[in-house]
Amino acid sequence: MAVNGDQTGQTAPGAPGTKSDGGASANRKLRRGLILGGAVLAANSALAGRLWQLQVVETETYQEQAARNRLRTEPVRPVRGIVFDRNREPLVRNLPEFGVWVTPADVPKSREGSIIASLAALTGERPDDLRFKLSQARYDPGRPVQVAGDVQRDSALAIEERRHDLPGVQVRSGIRRQYLHGDAFGHMLGFVGPVPAESLEEYQALGVGFDETVGLAGLERQFQGALRGTDGSRKVEIDALGRELNEIESEAPVEGRHLVLTVSVREQRAIREILARHLALRDAGAGVAVVIRPEDGSVVALASLPDYDNNAFGAGGDPSVLTRLVTDPRRPLINHAVAGLYPPGSSYKVIAASAALETGIVLPQTKIRCDGQLVLPTGWAFNDWLPTGHGMVDLHRGISESCNIYFYNISGGNPYTNLTGFGNRRLVEFERAFGFGEASGIDLPGEAAGLVPTAEWKQGNLGQPWVTGDTYHAAIGQGLVQVTPLQIAMMYSAIGNGGRLLRPRLVDRIVDTQGNVLQRLPVSERGQLPVSEGHLRLLRNALLEAVNGRNGTGKYARSEFAVVAGKTGTAEYSGTRDSHGKLPSHAWFAGYAPAENPEYAFAVLVRDGGEGAFAAAPIARDIIDYLMTGEMPPLPQDRPDFIPPTRRLS
Amino acid sequence: MTDALRRFDLAIIIPAIALVSAGILILSTTGDPGQTGLDHKAVQQGVFVAIGLAAALVMAFLDYRLLNAVALPAFIGGTILVAAVVVFGDANLGAQRWFVVGPIVIQPSEIMKLAAIVFLARYLARRGEGVRSIRTLLLSLLIMLVPAALVFIQPDLGSALVFVAIWLAMVFVAGARWWHALIPAGMALAAFPFAWFFAQDYMRERFVAFLDPSSDPLGAGYNVLQARISIGSGGWWGQGIGQGTQSQLEFLRVRDTDFIFAVLGEQLGFVGALGVILFFTILLAQAVIISIRARDDFGRYLAIGIAGMLFFQSFVNIGMNVGLMPVTGITLPLLSFGRNSLVVTLAAIGILLSINAHRTAAPHRQQGVWWVSSVRRMAARPESPPRP
Repeated sequence: MAVNGDQTGQTAPGAPGTKSDGGASANRKLRRGLILGGAVLAANSALAGRLWQLQVVETETYQEQAARNRLRTEPVRPVRGIVFDRNREPLVRNLPEFGVWVTPADVPKSREGSIIASLAALTGERPDDLRFKLSQARYDPGRPVQVAGDVQRDSALAIEERRHDLPGVQVRSGIRRQYLHGDAFGHMLGFVGPVPAESLEEYQALGVGFDETVGLAGLERQFQGALRGTDGSRKVEIDALGRELNEIESEAPVEGRHLVLTVSVREQRAIREILARHLALRDAGAGVAVVIRPEDGSVVALASLPDYDNNAFGAGGDPSVLTRLVTDPRRPLINHAVAGLYPPGSSYKVIAASAALETGIVLPQTKIRCDGQLVLPTGWAFNDWLPTGHGMVDLHRGISESCNIYFYNISGGNPYTNLTGFGNRRLVEFERAFGFGEASGIDLPGEAAGLVPTAEWKQGNLGQPWVTGDTYHAAIGQGLVQVTPLQIAMMYSAIGNGGRLLRPRLVDRIVDTQGNVLQRLPVSERGQLPVSEGHLRLLRNALLEAVNGRNGTGKYARSEFAVVAGKTGTAEYSGTRDSHGKLPSHAWFAGYAPAENPEYAFAVLVRDGGEGAFAAAPIARDIIDYLMTGEMPPLPQDRPDFIPPTRRLS
Repeated sequence: MTDALRRFDLAIIIPAIALVSAGILILSTTGDPGQTGLDHKAVQQGVFVAIGLAAALVMAFLDYRLLNAVALPAFIGGTILVAAVVVFGDANLGAQRWFVVGPIVIQPSEIMKLAAIVFLARYLARRGEGVRSIRTLLLSLLIMLVPAALVFIQPDLGSALVFVAIWLAMVFVAGARWWHALIPAGMALAAFPFAWFFAQDYMRERFVAFLDPSSDPLGAGYNVLQARISIGSGGWWGQGIGQGTQSQLEFLRVRDTDFIFAVLGEQLGFVGALGVILFFTILLAQAVIISIRARDDFGRYLAIGIAGMLFFQSFVNIGMNVGLMPVTGITLPLLSFGRNSLVVTLAAIGILLSINAHRTAAPHRQQGVWWVSSVRRMAARPESPPRP
């Protein structure tokens, strides 16, 4: 092996001190050199194989991922629909505002804390809220979400400038709701706000983002779907900082639908004002006025006082105002016209009268003696409002002069005569047929059904048996009966229109942005009053007499401009008795006008107002005056027949 | 004359020129549009390529054996520099890795790599068969652990590993016993829990991210994932020079250095990326051949040290780009933007040329293809005692 020897020998001069052990060492070096070379080849082959896998076999996957990096599909939010009054006057406006949006995929987790802190400082949002929104958004991290709305212009600019420190954050222009007639339409329109955390899933099922504002009360809530519209989408190319480079394709959203209401700004405002003027004469006055068109059930006005300016719920609302609204014992946030429950008092008597006539318990001309009091053998005494009594009373006088004793006799019977009364079971049937005990179906959320008391109900809920006195009370709208002012108005509307019990209509039609009618909300009949034509005529005459007769209880509702028919109600409720020993009471007046061919039906309630005749009837008169003339009536205290709120029917 | 021609070993020169050109080409597409003239990284890279080529020429024409003389001073000086940078260097990205002297940036760890190779080659050549003793082996390891430890605490895990890799390649060829390799391996295993404890957070994050890049796609795993997407989306032919959304829209970060291979993979596709691997393979294979054919052990170990350095860095970097290796911050030799590393690497290649030029008349000149004769020689089993 001379060659080996030579090679080893030749190595020696260049490397001082090399100890040669001949061919063995040289061959080992050669072998190991070759092994290293082989290792290089093997390792680089592995790299080449990996390249083949990534770039040839799986390239489509990675091209997709690159496209997903580069392209972002984001929803285009529709513009929320507008609510118009009957004359197409807008009740709400969309104002432009700056919103802060975050794309969670572009927010590095390690920097989330500092970004949230910066955003909180710049927008004034609470860090916890921002964190919650961001954590929610991480379920769909590529989708930008709004984390703050109504951002000040300066803050918006500051965020734009600090974009490099705030990866994934964008400022976008959005809209804010401005309600043009705050108080007057507060209850009706309601307001929008962030999706409540507890109903998040419900909204998400409807395709609503958790970062959106949604209707939380009133029409905004009831027609959330229509007002919102449907998302569009756009596909944009973005860079690594989330900056948009250009739009690849887009699909326009279906803009929110507009609502056209049955009310008009002018009438709603005026009727609210009339109610407010009367209530202003009392301490902490609260009340309701509902006006309906009997022909189709359209709402003309729906006022519940005290009310609230729904702009207070938007961004930048004064928190002290909200606190006041929440703590006011009169509960201004509740629309008492549809959600307030009260005993109806004597305005309810027409039901018992109908039941008596239809069951034939009495004839219209049957006279019943009223001594001002009916004492049952059990010892319980039931009083008339007139302590001296009405004498011999027939149906006509029973209604027009509101004689309680007459209604006790026909409903629960009289143990001292052979009159048995039609009984509560019958009364319940009639109450239900007049629309009580179930929601009337107005286009507003939170409508109350009220309560038609039955023996079963009383036993089940109070654990007490039904007694005759309960029937007496139910017949005159006292005791356990609970109704909403709207239900009363709808009953009088039905009496006025010949017996058709209608669903109240607040929204007339839903239109698109071009004004095309997409849906007209139908006039729908809930039922027919179970009263024959002749008997209905009797009732209407009695109601006419109640206002226009010499002894009518509703004479303060007489109007110069239309003949009013209606019924007072004074519904006592348990509370502190006044100096005359009387229980506190809600004052009612309900009816319709003109009496012959009614254009308006109404219900007026003054909470804790005392006598319906003095507190509620003048309000109804002013409302009818206004509706008939189109001009505001004089202030109540300027009228010659003004009755101060302190006066009581003796 | 033949010496001068032999210096221009085309199997070294062509891959080297091709790779630095590819680097400049890719860098020309990754800069900010605002950078012009000397601010542009491709231009700067060109300048350093020129300096590096000059250094390579000088090295090629010098007799590599002259390096024996500077081995010790270079090693000591380099060690002092590396130690000094830990104390005085400019902090950048949480690490102190370089000095700034006027316009010149000096990164001692790069220079130290070459100095350590030269010194270790000299040591091993002097020890001869002594490397087969455990004492010599551990001393040689100590030589490399000094700079490795110093760069580790900068902290620069990647460079520290390069020193260890170089040592392994060199003692392996020098003839260390197989089972001795178990000693450092056992030490590494035993040290792992301590290393984990003392490791910087970024190292741990990177290690976890390597095991599962999707664990935090926007954090430590982000670069790994984006690099893989970049390369994968390149396909057969790539998106074209200056094209490719991953690099152009900056989803891919550290495009100039750590992930330049991913940029290349996206723009030039499988064909381009495979070309880079092929050129590295040719370059490394030729470096191993030069080592085998070296005139003396010093040259042999020098060449294998340089080959080991180039191989380890290129393999770990490309492996990291394609998701086969954890992120260690090791750049791709010859392609990545780098001032010191480029000059040092090209100088090292110049040394390879010098070793090649000073080899004696190769056996293959008489006996045909060199590796055939080599295999034949091995087949002759010269270890067996010569028969009388």
